[in-house]
Amino acid sequence: MRQLPFHYAFRNLGRSGVRLAASLIGSSLVVLLILASGGFIRGMQLTLAQDDGLHENVMILGTGSEEGVERSQIDSSVEGIVAASVPGIKRQGGVVYASPEIHAALPVREDGDGDEDRVAVMRGVRPVALLVHARVEIVEGRSPRAGRDELMVGELAAARLGLPEERLALGRTLHFDDRDWSIVGRFSAPNSVMNAEIWLPLTDLQIATNRAASLSCVVVTLGRGAGGATFADVDLFAKGRLDLEVTAIRERDYYASIAAFYGPIRVMIIVTAILVASGGILGGLNTMYAAFAARVREVGMLQALGFTRVAIVANLVEESVFASACGVLIGTLLGAALLDGVAVRSSMGAFALVVDAPVVLLGVAGGLVVGLVGALPPAVRCLRLPIAEALKSY
Amino acid sequence: MSVLIECRGLTREYRKGGQVIRPLDGLDLAVPRGDFLALMGPSGSGKTTLLNLIAGIDSPTRGELIVDGADIGTLSRRRLAAWRARHVGYVFQLYNLVPVLTAYENVELPLLLHPLTRRQKHDRVVTALERVGIADRRGHFPSQLSGGQEQRVAIARAIVTDPAVIVADEPTGDLDKASARAVMELLRELNRESGKTVIMVTHDPKTTEYASRTLHLEEGRLAGGSAVGGVMA
Repeated sequence: MRQLPFHYAFRNLGRSGVRLAASLIGSSLVVLLILASGGFIRGMQLTLAQDDGLHENVMILGTGSEEGVERSQIDSSVEGIVAASVPGIKRQGGVVYASPEIHAALPVREDGDGDEDRVAVMRGVRPVALLVHARVEIVEGRSPRAGRDELMVGELAAARLGLPEERLALGRTLHFDDRDWSIVGRFSAPNSVMNAEIWLPLTDLQIATNRAASLSCVVVTLGRGAGGATFADVDLFAKGRLDLEVTAIRERDYYASIAAFYGPIRVMIIVTAILVASGGILGGLNTMYAAFAARVREVGMLQALGFTRVAIVANLVEESVFASACGVLIGTLLGAALLDGVAVRSSMGAFALVVDAPVVLLGVAGGLVVGLVGALPPAVRCLRLPIAEALKSY
Repeated sequence: MSVLIECRGLTREYRKGGQVIRPLDGLDLAVPRGDFLALMGPSGSGKTTLLNLIAGIDSPTRGELIVDGADIGTLSRRRLAAWRARHVGYVFQLYNLVPVLTAYENVELPLLLHPLTRRQKHDRVVTALERVGIADRRGHFPSQLSGGQEQRVAIARAIVTDPAVIVADEPTGDLDKASARAVMELLRELNRESGKTVIMVTHDPKTTEYASRTLHLEEGRLAGGSAVGGVMA
């Protein structure tokens, strides 16, 4: 089959500036939307995945609190008991990888807030937490010291509180428990719920929350190799110590169950994206119907010269897909520049939109589908008339 | 002189709103190679239908249509398209040039269906443009040409593949007198000097002066009977 030249399709784009603009804007908006919704879902997925593939953490928390560690309350002695009772918990340089923690959502006030309270997700920890949660890295300042009313903030903590980043800069203060707390450090925990948290010394948060003798959980890292503990070992410990009223759950399973809770939101976002993309396709159809209807006689002439219908449809679709491809490029560049890393507040904390390769591929495919599906029916319709009739049309 | 086009009992019917319309009704016609035939007749007489059938852009309902030895009434749509590309050059009343292509590219368009090298295509396009006297406008777009110039480009497009037959549907219908005369002279030159068989539909009696003979159609038949071998029978 002999094809029509590509430059014919390319130059046809210039016939109507309005149509070209509509195609470009339509497809770039569809791409942007797919990148936004895909980036949202991807960001949420990665944040809740909690699996760096290197360490396996197990959470020991109160029985019945598997769906929310904030509600969990276990005795502070659990940390020592588990470290002594379960052989094979990771140890390095004499440090046992068992992190006693308190998780709490507390109202805080920032300097410029006046009387307005904001709810912050706080985690009271000991220094060992930085070993157990390997993806946490202090990127600015230092770790807070106990008894000095100090804390450190995650990279997305400001987004979680709805504040500009500079309001949680080092040296600024947060007010809660009738005291001012200085921000002395800033940490990064990419693609993790921890990235939106505020961390402070365990004892300080125990006092602030009147939980001097209790913890929310103990997070342990399992040792690797032959001598390493397995989840079954920790689970057996939890089930055997009925007096402690604790349960063991893999950290990734805990966050996976939270992710499942957000499943309906994900479905809603996908459905919305599909609906808007369908709108884009309908808009494309409308534009292409008008564009191709004006060319019925020309299409008749091409057939009279000997070009087959398939060759002509291919050229018309080529034209539409090329316009969409330009829109896709614009949309992708805008999306990568404007959306990637944007912080989103949610009830679980905050997370960053992730516009990575799979999301970009999805956006590109979506934009091209708009061009393809939007052009096919008008192109076929344009060729429905017999040649003799097409040549008479105006 | 050998017969290039032969119609036997050529009939074309359409259905429209339950009615059968028959623009061509059992037409017999033979056109010798090298003929310049003008077809005249009132609207609805079937002249454009006959032209379209000979050009292979429509198919007969009944009867035989042999063009250059091929029974084109029996060809599939795809084969008919390939046949058109090789054997027919079509000149339209409204030129039908592609507005986004230059004169050169418009003339080159039918050659894309032929297995020629880039050089061969170039030579053919230049020759065709020179033949119609518009080579100096090769880089112009249709919107930059006058009606007469556009029709010359359209004629160049029709002859660039060196077809056996050129069909022209009211080629001067949209032109002023001077341009119309120039286009008719060009068609006559192509007929006389290049030996092209030209079949032209026209409403203008003046243009028939350029044809070697004129046939009148009425209600789908030749007025006064059939014309075989160029002689009214």
